Amino acid sequence: MAADAQFGWSGTIGEVTLGATKAEGGTRRVSYRIGGGTTLPFLEKERVSPSPLIAFEVCDYPSFWSPIIRNYCGDLVNNLAEWTKTADTRYGADLIRLHLNSTRQRNFTDIAAVGKAVETVLSASSLPLVIEGSNEPKIDSEVFQKCGETGQGERLLLGTAEAGHYRSIAAAALAYNHALIAQSPIDVNLAKQLNILLREIGVRRDHIIIDPYTGALGYGFEYSYSAMERIRFAALKGDADLAMPIVCSASDTLSIKEVREADPAVQDAIAISWEFYTGVAAAAAGAEIICVRHPQTIGMLKEAFAGMKARAGPEEVQ
Amino acid sequence: MALKALDIYKLLPKKNCKECGDPTCLTFAMKLAGGKADVDLCPYLDGQAKSVLGATTRPPIRLIRVGVGERFFKVGEETVLYRHEKTFYHPPGIVFRVSDTQSPDEIAAVTRKVRDETFTRVGTDLRFSGIAIENTSGSAETFAKAVAVVEQQQAHLPPVLIAKDPAALSAALVHCGSYRPLLHAATGENYREMCALAKKHGCPLVIRASTLDGLILLVKNCTAEGVLDLMLDPAPENLGAFITRSTQIRQLAITRSVPELGYPVYLDASATGMQDAALVLGIVKYASVIVTSPLPPGPAKASLTLRQNIYTDPQKPIQMNPGLYRVGNPDRDAPVLMTVNFSLTFFTLQGYLESSRIPCFMLIVDTEGLSVLTAVAAGKLNETLVRDSLKKFGVENEVTHRNLIIPGYASPLSGRIEEASGWKVMVGPRDAAEVGEFLQEEWKKKR
Repeated sequence: MAADAQFGWSGTIGEVTLGATKAEGGTRRVSYRIGGGTTLPFLEKERVSPSPLIAFEVCDYPSFWSPIIRNYCGDLVNNLAEWTKTADTRYGADLIRLHLNSTRQRNFTDIAAVGKAVETVLSASSLPLVIEGSNEPKIDSEVFQKCGETGQGERLLLGTAEAGHYRSIAAAALAYNHALIAQSPIDVNLAKQLNILLREIGVRRDHIIIDPYTGALGYGFEYSYSAMERIRFAALKGDADLAMPIVCSASDTLSIKEVREADPAVQDAIAISWEFYTGVAAAAAGAEIICVRHPQTIGMLKEAFAGMKARAGPEEVQ
Repeated sequence: MALKALDIYKLLPKKNCKECGDPTCLTFAMKLAGGKADVDLCPYLDGQAKSVLGATTRPPIRLIRVGVGERFFKVGEETVLYRHEKTFYHPPGIVFRVSDTQSPDEIAAVTRKVRDETFTRVGTDLRFSGIAIENTSGSAETFAKAVAVVEQQQAHLPPVLIAKDPAALSAALVHCGSYRPLLHAATGENYREMCALAKKHGCPLVIRASTLDGLILLVKNCTAEGVLDLMLDPAPENLGAFITRSTQIRQLAITRSVPELGYPVYLDASATGMQDAALVLGIVKYASVIVTSPLPPGPAKASLTLRQNIYTDPQKPIQMNPGLYRVGNPDRDAPVLMTVNFSLTFFTLQGYLESSRIPCFMLIVDTEGLSVLTAVAAGKLNETLVRDSLKKFGVENEVTHRNLIIPGYASPLSGRIEEASGWKVMVGPRDAAEVGEFLQEEWKKKR
């Protein structure tokens, strides 16, 4: 009898669908069902849950974007359609995550431009799409309504709902059948609370992705790592209000001191390492969508996830 | 399964002789119950008590020391699967590998790199842990020469000797046998010779097998030969195999289900063909010694940072000493920015202040390591604390103005701080990233 560790899990991570193909009423070439895990990440004996997905982040207002990416991608960042297309065909992303950061400008009101940006990305790539809308009560309702409407039928992932900032997103998600990201500040109980709030206004569990907030490596990443482990643990122990897939978005990574002030000769390498180390560790803790901004991180993460999914031992190979 | 401290105490001699190093039998019993002491430290236990206690009080994962002198490290004595359940205690030794087919100059250069390089972040010096020498040449003589080159650098780094042939290890041990090198690796074929070498030199020994049953058998064989300081190399053929085996070993060890697996795990990060990913997984998933090729700056800094993060005690946020800190050389007109003593807050703000190139003072107040948001919510950050800190650290003597910049998240306190301290309050940004712009626009305009 071979030695084998028993964990006694009773729960399963719920599944969430991202993107819709033609058959599903959308125009995407692929849709993803994520979640479904029944034990700790990468410990399944058979391949049940898929590899973590890698989302490449683009934006509609590049002057707010990291200078590291503006330098690396060059003029591409000023052409949202080309940037998106390149992320899909050359960088090899699984998902495109559009940050509508134009809405962060003071007194922004150009809602029509928001709809255009979403349209641009939808037609530049047929990958499923994540959309980060505004974070300004005055315009939230209109922005999310616009996003939801423009992506109708495409099963977008809309972000980011927080306690005290979730009604507009939820309304758009409900009206147009999109999924949404629910973010809480690195705390398993707050994550659960927000999921309950969302459920109470009608958002179904299979439309929610948990964002436990990811601190940058070296700047609180360990708290996020443990929050992810705790969420996964609670879910496997049977807590349905936490049994959703997790997204890791360490959005400060490129602006922390070690990366921002790195010697220009190695700055790209350090940025990539920082994103890569964060992404692999988060996946080991249970994250199933990993967001990155540096194109070179994508290929490395893909290779790593394939290795982590590989099953061991001769008995399984047969 | 595990005995309570009082149950253990009943089995102890109750002499309070202090020979175990503890003041009383009861404190020793408490340590035993927590897996923090070894039952062999008590000289007065009879055989039966020992066998009862031994199985249940021994630390579930044996503590192993590698190397001697200032740079030695110890690993093992871990008790949990998740760091949030308690903490991870002993960070893995990350060891740079050289091969005996490399030139003496190359070998010496890597050795000096590990000896000299430090990477300082959040007030701590981070370093790589040791040097591994691999017998790729197949020649015992070449291997011994390579080890001699490493030792000539006077680096006193913990060595790891990697060879399949016991004769090669034996030749190398002539040069470093008394420095407690880690020997790699004993297998089903060679464990007798390997055990003889480990015993002769008092070194820890790695055993290598690709199944848990194989490891268990080897542990039984090696302990029967009298070698107790062991590490386990689960010989993962890919990253998935490492995660699976390492997690199973940890779980079976800490639950004491399979005591034979109660040893630290060894990982060769390059064997899976994906060294960076293996390093990450080694750090987060329970490896205690990780061997890697010398790392370029990106992976070097990222791996040391990840190790520091994961092995930070989650119950003790790293705190700064409260006080008045200078950024650059501030003069008497320089701005004063107040914030909390949670170290991440401090270092994040300090980083942005440095890049703003505006010399200033940071007034760090004691919120017991809480962040701004939580300290405000918990009432730890309040007007009395700010007033007292301004006085205590003599800020009035440092600057001629009476303007205090407070964090954006502390804005609800602004009025009360003004009243209590008599200082005029300016509310700064919520996000430290915007502090440079704030100082440029708001502070300079004001002055």
